[in-house]
Amino acid sequence: MTSAPEPPERSAHPLHVVPDEPEIQRAPGARLGADGLRTVSPRLVPARYVASIVGYAIWVLMIAGAIVAAALTGWWWLSLIGLVPLVILLQSILLTPRRVRAIGYLDAEEDLTIASGIMFRKVQTIPYGRVQSVKIDEGPVDRRYGLAKLTVTTAAAVSSVVLPGLPKQEAERLRAMLTERGIETMAAL
Amino acid sequence: MNTPDAVNPSEAENGPEAPNAPGAERAPETPRRRTHPITPLVTGWKIVVAIVAVVSAQNIARLVNDFSVSKALIGAGVILAAVVIAIVLSAISWWFMTYAVDEEGVSLHTGVISKSREYAPRARIESVSVERPLLARLLGLAKVRVEIAGGGESYLDIEYVKSADAEQLRQRILGVAARARTPEGESPDQSEGAAADAPQADRDAAHRTEGTHETSTVDGTGEDAPGALQKLLYDGVTDGDMIATIPTGRLVRSLVRDLGFLVGIVMSILGLGVAIGLGIWTDGFSFAMIIALAPAAFTVLKYVFGKIESGWGFVSRDTDRGLRMRRGLANTRTDNIASGRVQRFSVRRPLLWRTPDWTAVTVTVAGIDDDDENGAQSVLPVGTREELGATLGHLAAPLGTDDDLAALEHLLTAKAREIHGIRTPARLFWISRRTDVTVLLPGALIHRSGILTRTVEIVPRERIQQTTLSEGPLSRRLGVLDLAVHVAGEDLHISAIPLQDALALHGTLARDARTLRRYRDREQWPQPILGRSSTAPHASQEDR
Repeated sequence: MTSAPEPPERSAHPLHVVPDEPEIQRAPGARLGADGLRTVSPRLVPARYVASIVGYAIWVLMIAGAIVAAALTGWWWLSLIGLVPLVILLQSILLTPRRVRAIGYLDAEEDLTIASGIMFRKVQTIPYGRVQSVKIDEGPVDRRYGLAKLTVTTAAAVSSVVLPGLPKQEAERLRAMLTERGIETMAAL
Repeated sequence: MNTPDAVNPSEAENGPEAPNAPGAERAPETPRRRTHPITPLVTGWKIVVAIVAVVSAQNIARLVNDFSVSKALIGAGVILAAVVIAIVLSAISWWFMTYAVDEEGVSLHTGVISKSREYAPRARIESVSVERPLLARLLGLAKVRVEIAGGGESYLDIEYVKSADAEQLRQRILGVAARARTPEGESPDQSEGAAADAPQADRDAAHRTEGTHETSTVDGTGEDAPGALQKLLYDGVTDGDMIATIPTGRLVRSLVRDLGFLVGIVMSILGLGVAIGLGIWTDGFSFAMIIALAPAAFTVLKYVFGKIESGWGFVSRDTDRGLRMRRGLANTRTDNIASGRVQRFSVRRPLLWRTPDWTAVTVTVAGIDDDDENGAQSVLPVGTREELGATLGHLAAPLGTDDDLAALEHLLTAKAREIHGIRTPARLFWISRRTDVTVLLPGALIHRSGILTRTVEIVPRERIQQTTLSEGPLSRRLGVLDLAVHVAGEDLHISAIPLQDALALHGTLARDARTLRRYRDREQWPQPILGRSSTAPHASQEDR
């Protein structure tokens, strides 16, 4: 009987049904929707560091270039140009572990919730019945660490929902579950 | 009861490639047809015009400067040769372009050297429109566009066929598509067995529906001589109950009263004038300058003309294949939009439309995008209150209030603080505090916005695909959240609503998204109050 829409209550107000039963909580001080979520594999931290080595090298070169240019010309303010790559580099090095820990997902009875982000946090909810396609990606670095990336797409106009850093078996389990439950609870467009 | 569940997922899994196989098997059975023989003339002409336009726009100043008779003759010869070559090329591609409509869907084969076989499976056909561009219209031809579910350029174009044939073709394709969504009436095996005498059955069905239309026509337009004139004027959109018809006077006045449109036009004309004046002032009158400004002027004209055309001679009628609409001045088009395909409504009322009580309605249908603003998504360019009621009554499931039309009117006209709903508490957003309000009705989620032009977005609750809650540093400080509701082809962003309200709304909408509109309870899917699909024993129009 859960599938049947509940008959809406006529409230005293002419319009607006007051929504009830929030599923996602936000305790004061805690992250939005953080409790009850499963975390992704901690191996994603080294995997992300390895994957961004090339990027780091480029940033370091840019900082070095700015300092060298300042030294050669004698204009000290040229080294300030190096601040931008420095900030990008530092935040990536310092925040990657926290970012990985902030990624969470929950495969509930009828929908999948994926949360990510520290400062700009996003919690996405996808019902199984609306899933159009499920994809598993393994990049070279991911494969080295035994990880996989799950991409779920619905008919919505937004880009698909991505869940990185899953152990391989877990990704396979989610894919199989999404496909199976998707057929069971298939909803029309 | 089990059949739809078993059939549809397999279709969904197979995706677009799989239909090639049945299409290829079936190809020998159904005769493949070519489009009308004049087609190369029409398409070839377009190529020539494009080439001439590009060449002359770039070099016309130089051409004018050293003009001579012999050069003009050579030019004419070159153009003539180009015409002949273009027409011959188009004729070759015309020869290799065939289409077929069978029980499985519509297939289109094109290409001379690299051949392509496109296929529209019947379950994926969203709508069929008949378009008549000016030149084709003069020659009595029309283009049939089959819209398929999917993003971007998901359609098959059958161009061009005779206008009368286009009408029959449209009926047939819609018939095939409708049969895909009558699961109880006909099992797939039966329809495959009956594939041989399907065309005959189709024609019968077409006759039958035409017959019922004629009997149900109240205003008696389907008769003799005036009927023929009406048919010509309205491109055959003469049967079925009249829902809306827009007189030219109202269309023109509505454009004049649309402040955004008017200001845009005045500004661009002023801009053009200033540019010309500056040009003459600095280096005198020159032909090159006019040419340089021509594209801008052309864009403005095209925009104005497009606005007029997307509402000119607009008629919409209720048929058993959904709402049927006709519009256009030089290029005309007729579209079908079935209520079951509509994902979202947007009701719009500019400031000066409030006095005459006019409203415009556009819809979002998965697979139809309206990038060239030809009005494919507009189901009511400018309508009175009665027409708004009829259009929404035929297309939208009830909102769940005691009087939906009055509720909508209240949402369109009242101040935000007089509407009982969710508003942003943050003083920082002082405009949206006064204008934006989100209302959850039993049938739909509604978001009202706009200072001068009031816009009401209606997202039926059973159409929600996924939901996203997001917060940033600012919203965390203010204690608010952003909620995005995604339907197929469109997103509704509700920003900065109070934390607890956002969480509660998210919970309710997430439950709607996962429980509503399942195939297994298709009997309980909400239906429009008016219209034929609601009187039908089962939801034949609804499935996809």
